[in-house]
Order: sequence, then C-alpha cells, then structure tokens
Amino acid sequence: MPRAHDNAPGSGGAYWMLIPAVAFTVILIGLPFLYTIYLSLHQFVFGKDALFNAGRNYLLMLQDRLFWNGLWVTLLLYLISLALQMAFGLYLGMLLDRSVWGRGLLRTILISPFVMPSVVVGMMWLVILDPSIGAANYLLESLALPRSTWLASPLLVVPTIALIDTWQWTPFVALIILGGMQVLPIEPYEAASIDGARRWQTFWYITLPLLRPAMITAATLRSVDLLRFFDTIYITTQGGPSNASTTLNIYAFRVGFEFFDIGYASAQMITLLAIVFGAVMAFTQLRRHTL
Amino acid sequence: MRSAGSKRLSTLLTYAQFVLVSLVIVVPVAWMLAASFKTSAEVTAYPPRLLFRPTLANYTRLFATTPFLEYTRNSLIVAGVSTALGLLLAVPAAYAVSWYRITWPATLTLAARMAPGTLFLLPWYIMFSNLGLIGSHWTLILTHTVITMPLVLWVMMSFFDAIPREVLESALIDGCSASAALLRVAVPLVRPGIVVSTILAFVFAWNYFLFALVLSGFSSKTLPVAAFNFIGEGATNWGGLMAAAVLIALPPLILAFGVQRWLVHGLTFGAVKG
Repeated sequence: MPRAHDNAPGSGGAYWMLIPAVAFTVILIGLPFLYTIYLSLHQFVFGKDALFNAGRNYLLMLQDRLFWNGLWVTLLLYLISLALQMAFGLYLGMLLDRSVWGRGLLRTILISPFVMPSVVVGMMWLVILDPSIGAANYLLESLALPRSTWLASPLLVVPTIALIDTWQWTPFVALIILGGMQVLPIEPYEAASIDGARRWQTFWYITLPLLRPAMITAATLRSVDLLRFFDTIYITTQGGPSNASTTLNIYAFRVGFEFFDIGYASAQMITLLAIVFGAVMAFTQLRRHTL
Repeated sequence: MRSAGSKRLSTLLTYAQFVLVSLVIVVPVAWMLAASFKTSAEVTAYPPRLLFRPTLANYTRLFATTPFLEYTRNSLIVAGVSTALGLLLAVPAAYAVSWYRITWPATLTLAARMAPGTLFLLPWYIMFSNLGLIGSHWTLILTHTVITMPLVLWVMMSFFDAIPREVLESALIDGCSASAALLRVAVPLVRPGIVVSTILAFVFAWNYFLFALVLSGFSSKTLPVAAFNFIGEGATNWGGLMAAAVLIALPPLILAFGVQRWLVHGLTFGAVKG
C-alpha cells in the first residue's frame, strides 16, 4: 500500500521537483497559447496597439477562399497519407513479425527515414523527383510510362507529398504495429487452427481486431502530425504551385510571417488546433469503445 | 498441413518482400549519398549515371564557400544545451510523476505536443523581440527545450516506474531527503534511461526545422535552416546540396541506431514498449 503514507511527513517530499518543468511549460506553452487566443480576437500589427475586433478574424475565415483551399488541401493530404501509411504500416509490421534471418538489420534500416531531418528528406526527394533530370522520371521512362512533373503539377503535388511522407513515416507505423503483434495472445490462433480457419480468415477475424489498439495509437499519432503538415511542404514547394499544396498550417504561417496579419493568423491557428484536438478526441473515443 | 515445398516457397516469398521493402527505403538514401560524390555535370546528367568517379569536391567546396562549420556549431549548441536543459527539467519531474503516480504533468506536455508549432511562434516572436533576444542562441535553446523536455519526461517516467518502490522507500526511511533519494539512489539505477533520453532529445532537437526558421538570426542559424536556404540559393549546385544533406543526416542516423529499441517508445509517449 504505497499510497497510504504519501501524505506522511518525510515519505515523499518530491512534489517540488515538478515545479521547474511545470513552470517552464506554463511560461513557454501555456501563456503563449493564451496570448494566441487573445491575438485571434484582435487586429494586431507590429508596433501598434492591438484592437479588439470581436471575432471578425474568425468570420473572415469563412469568406476567405484561401482558407477553404487550405482546409481542403489539409484534409486531402491527411486522408491520402493516413490511408497509405496505415495500410503499408500494417503490412510491414506483420512482415517484420515473421522470424527470419536479418530481421534486426531490417529494423535498423526501417528507422532511418523518420530519424532523418525533414529538411534532408525534402532535399533528397526534390532531386529524385526533379521533372527534367530526376531519377523518378527515368524510372518511369524505363518502364515505358509517361514522365511526370511531380511536385510542379497542381494536380499531383498533394499525392506526391503524401508519397514522400509515406516513405518517411510508414516504418514508424510498422514498428507500432510490430509492438502490437508481439503481445498478441496465442490461444485464439490455436483455436482457429483447430477449427481449420484459412489464413485470410485468421487475419480478418483474429489478427485485425486484436491489433486495433495498436492501429488506433498509430493513427492518432500520425493524425496529429498530418493535420499540422508543414515541414516537407515548406521545404519542397512552399505551398505551390498556385497554392495547390498550401495546407492550413502553411497558410496560417504565411499570413502571420509574410503578410504580418498576426490576428488573422492566430485565429487560423486556433482553428487548426481545434481540428487536431477534435481528431484526437475522436480516436480516444474509438479506442475506448474497442477496449 | 502444408507441405515442405510450399513452406520453402513461403519463406522465399518472405525474403523477397524483405528485400523489396529494404530497397524502397535504402535506394533514395543511397541516391542522395551517390549524388553528393558526383561532379555537377554528373549530378545533372540525364539519363542518370550509376557509374561515376567519386569526388570529394562537393564536400570541400561546402566548407570553403559557406560557413558550414559555424552552422554546425550553432546546431550543436542549440541541440546540446536544449537537451541538457530538458534533462534538468524533466528528470526530477519524471521522478516525482512516477513516485506519486500522477498523470497530469505528463498529460500537460502531451497537450503541448498536439498544438501546431506555428501557434507558439507568433507569441514567441513577439515575446523574444520584446526581450531583444531574436537571433540569440538562447531563444533557440529555450524553444527547442519544448521538444526535448516532454521526450525526456516520457522516457524517464517508464524507467523510474521500473525501480522497485521498496528501494526508494528504504532510502527515505534511512533519512535521505527526496533530492538525495533521486540523485544517489534513483539516478544511478536509471542511467541507461538517461543515456537513451539524452540521445533521443538531441536527435529531435537537431532535426527540428520550424522554430529556427523564424527565430534564428544571421549568427544563430542552425543546419536545417541553412540547408533550406541552400535550396533557394543553389538550385544549380545539387551536388553541394546533397553533400550538406548527407552531413546533416549523419549524426541523427548514427545516434538513433544506438537506441533504436527505445526510439518508438519515446515517440509514442510510452504507448508502445521498445
């Protein structure tokens, strides 16, 4: 019963150890967050007093074509990337679970994409996907397929960025799935084997439902990052061509740091945070109902 | 029951898939590495050349024509000090969280993880401008601690949780203060955890792009931001770009391989064991 004497004198005395970390979080995260809410309700220009404008920043969003474009790009990129990463991640995680020689080596290789700085990943794919001299087009030509303009095409830029992100983050999803595979109970499989279940039946009716918690964990973490997608886009296309890859986060960043419309940018960022928060809540609910 | 022949075939198919997956991951990285050793004529040659005479020219030119060493020094300072600060803040906090079995401080840092980094950038920019600190190393160190501290907290929590409670209780009964119990009893027991969280925190602070993009100045520019600027300046010098990319990616790759078991654990906030 360790709880019993937590309040007794001299038995803990460690509460103060939380103070530095909590104080840091309040000063660098809590206060800036509240300040962003304040800014989002004001018209703010550097060097001038903030003018309260009663939610006009939020109303402005509704009429802003680029805001809706940002929302659309964000959701499109999110859905394509999440679908690809979950599907490939599930496949790869299950592949990794098979006991073969060299599994440790593959695990080592697998972590490299997501520990590389996103700047490096972006630069690497910029060179490979270059429309005129890139290796990707050479590969297409060797397979007798038409060349593509990849990141320079308004139509293909979102799927291309989704592919880059899938290259970088599928291994991460796979390692989470692998973690789930390693704690699977053995009994349902024995029962299925006795009942003469086919492989796809075992997968569909046993493995998949048992892996749901791991899949929801992976989907939650990827959702948080994908809905705030910034780095790879800013590095490769800066939102172009003609805003075809301008996600909400990219748009809010540009409104804030290129057009210096701080109030409006803040309102967009609060909206984006609400979207991310909503997605996390939805997955938390989903998780609660599966356990 | 499957026959021996079909079993051999399925093993073969498994290996084939392993090779295919490895190729998808390795080939782009190998391509970047190869390009960094090519002359500019070879980098832009079409069809791309697989065979070439490797040269170190891109690397030597990188150091000769750009302040690459200075960017490296900035990155080392920012990642190194923010890692140290993260440890200083989060190790005692993780100990307290683990000892009292409370969750709210950890949840608090998780909430911070959800917010878009851009959301903090505007207030930070205004805050640090008012303090006259834009462009100073301290601005970057403090903001990158927002990355390192939660990481250390989550990794250390599970290490502290693994210490048998009796060990700490007997230290306290022997008259140790809480800080002595942490420093003399707990910390020596979680030394591997401190190594792991130091490495993870350093890697992710080293890689982080967005904060330095806005908050770094001429003399505090970190490697990712410098590399990003190279893209704009030197679209023609791809060999040089790739050389910079290789050098920037090397430290995180080497460090992460050493702690790969803990990597996923740290990144999933403990949801997945190593």
